[in-house]
Amino acid sequence: MIQVSNISHFYGNEQVLFDLTFEVQSGEFLFLGGESGSGKSTLLSILSTLLKPSSGELLLDGEAVQDIKDIDFFRQSKIGFVFQFHYLINYLNIYENIALAATDDKKQNINKILEELGILELSSRYPNEISGGQRQRVAVARALVNEPKIIFADEPTGSLDSKNSTIVYELLQDAQKKGTTVVVASHDTQIQNYATKIIRLKDGKIL
Amino acid sequence: MIALKALSKNRLKSFLIFLSITVAVMAIFLISAISGGIIGMYSKMIKTDGDIIITQKGISDTFFSNVDIALMDKIDKIENVSSSYAMIVGASPIGHIPIAAIYGTTQNHFSHYKLSSGVYPKEKEVILGENLSKQFKTKSIAIANKNFEISGTYSSEIGFEEGGVVMNIADAGTLFNRSASFILVSSNSPNAIDEIVKKISAMHSEIEVKTTQNFVKEYNQFKIIENSSFVISFLAFAMGLMGIASVMSMIVNSRKEEFGIMRALGKSRFFIIKNIFFETLVLSVVSYGVALVLSLAVLALIPHIEMLQGYVNGSLSASLALYVLASTIIMALLGSLIPAWIASKTDPILLINQGCA
Ligand SMILES: Nc1ncnc2c1ncn2[C@@H]1O[C@H](COP(=O)(O)OP(=O)(O)OP(=O)(O)O)[C@@H](O)[C@H]1O
Ligand SMILES: [Mg+2]
Repeated sequence: MIQVSNISHFYGNEQVLFDLTFEVQSGEFLFLGGESGSGKSTLLSILSTLLKPSSGELLLDGEAVQDIKDIDFFRQSKIGFVFQFHYLINYLNIYENIALAATDDKKQNINKILEELGILELSSRYPNEISGGQRQRVAVARALVNEPKIIFADEPTGSLDSKNSTIVYELLQDAQKKGTTVVVASHDTQIQNYATKIIRLKDGKIL
Repeated sequence: MIALKALSKNRLKSFLIFLSITVAVMAIFLISAISGGIIGMYSKMIKTDGDIIITQKGISDTFFSNVDIALMDKIDKIENVSSSYAMIVGASPIGHIPIAAIYGTTQNHFSHYKLSSGVYPKEKEVILGENLSKQFKTKSIAIANKNFEISGTYSSEIGFEEGGVVMNIADAGTLFNRSASFILVSSNSPNAIDEIVKKISAMHSEIEVKTTQNFVKEYNQFKIIENSSFVISFLAFAMGLMGIASVMSMIVNSRKEEFGIMRALGKSRFFIIKNIFFETLVLSVVSYGVALVLSLAVLALIPHIEMLQGYVNGSLSASLALYVLASTIIMALLGSLIPAWIASKTDPILLINQGCA
C-alpha cells in the first residue's frame, strides 16, 4: 500500500530524513515512534503527499506520487487526515466541515458516520461550540467520510485526555479492521497496543 | 456558497475590509467631485450670459483685472451685438464673515440674480445671496468699513453666487478701486462672434478679448485647480487602492492554515482561488456601492451646509464612478489573488504550520 524508497528530506541545508526505505502492507496499523525532533511529522507529511521529499520515491496504492495527475482528487478520495489540532474550518458547522471533505458520492454517508461517532446531535454547531474531544472526533469523522484507503494521523490525541484518546484510537482501529491502512505518528506509547507494525525514528533514521 | 459563509462568520475581518474600501472609495469620489464642482460652477457663471469676455491684458486672474467701463458704449454699437454688461468680482469681509464674494454689476445684469424678496439695489444698497442672508438678520451690513442697506435677497443655481452679495458696479468700483473687472458681450448671431472679437480688440491696446468658451478653457486658475485636484485625487486614489490591496493580502495571508487544510482535504488550488475571488468580489462591490451612496448623500448635503456659504459643490460623473469601480475591483483582486495563488503553490503542510505560528 505504501512503498518508500530512499527518501531523504532537507529543510534548507538541514537534513532531517536520511535515505529511508520501507513498506507498509494494506490493512496494517503502523505506529511511527521516536523522540521529539526525530522526523516523525516530516515523514508523515511526505507519506501523505502534503510535503514533497527532497529526494526518493513514494508509491501509494501502487501509484508513484510524483506522477499522479490529479493529486487533489487522489488526496480527497484515497487519503484521510487527522492532525494534532483538529483543523476544522471555523466558519463552517460540523456537518459542513465534513461535507467539504466528502466526495459527491460519499455525501450521503455523513450522517451515518456522525451517528457512529456519537456526534450527530452536534452537526449544526460550529467548531468553537464543542469540546476538544468532540472536535477531534469530528476530525476523525472527516478523515473517514470518503472511506479512504489510508488514514494518516499526526499526534491525533496530542490535545486529549486518556479517555478521549482511547476513543480516537478505537475509531482508528475500527477503520483498520474494515481494511483501511492506518499510519499514526505519536509520542503516546499507549498506541502500541493497537499497532500491527512499529517504526521508530532517531535523528531521521529508522532504528 | 462557502465564500459567503466565510464572510458572514468572520464578521470583524469582513467589516474591516469593508470599512477600508468604503473610506478609500469615498475619499476618491469626494475629492474629485468637489474640485470638479468648483471649476464647473465658476465656468458656468462666466458662460451663462455672454459669448465674449473682455479683461485687462496680461492679467492672470479676473480679481486683478481692470477694464474701462466706457468701452461698453462703443461695443453696443457694433453690428450683431445684442447686449453687454460689466462686472466687478471681488472678495471682502462682510459683517462678521471673514470673506465673501462681492459682485458689482451694471443694472442690465441684475435680472440674472433672481429676487426672492425685496428689490434690486440702488446706490449704497446690496442684495444678499440666500445662503449669506441666513447669517444676517440686520437691515444693513458693513462691507470693507462702508455701510450698505440690504434691499433684498436673491437665489441662484450657482453655489458661489448664493454665498455673496450683489451691488451696483459704481459702488463696487469705489470698494475695489477699478472701473470693471470684465465686460461680457452677447451676440444674436453665433457666426458673427469672431468678427466682433476682432473689432473689440482693435478698440484698445490694454484689453484682452476672448470668446467665453476659450476663456474658460485657458483660464489659469482653472488649470491650477484642475491640476492640483488631479494630483490630490490621484494620490488619494493610489493610497486608497494600495490600502485595499494590502488589507486584502493581509487577510488572505492570515488564512494560510485554512488553505493548507483545504488542500489536505483534496480541494484544488482552483477551488481556493475561486472562493477568494468571490469573497473579494462581493466585499469590494458591496463596499463600493455603500461608498457611492454615501458620497452622493454627502454631495447632496454640502450645498445646505451654511458654514461653506455655498462655495463648495460637486457632482459625480458616471465615467468617474465606473472608473473607480473597475480600479477598486482590480486592486482588491490583485491584493487577494496574488497571495492566494502563492499560498496555493506551497506544500500544504507548510501552510498549515505557518498558520499556527
Ligand atoms: N518547516 C520546517 N522548517 C525547518 N525545520 C523544520 C521544519 N519542520 C521541522 N523542522 C525540523 O525538522 C526536524 C524534524 O521535525 P519533525 O517535526 O518532523 O519532528 P517530530 O518527530 O514530529 O517531533 P515532535 O515529536 O516534537 O512532533 C526537527 O529538527 C525540526 O526542527
Ligand atoms: Mg511531530
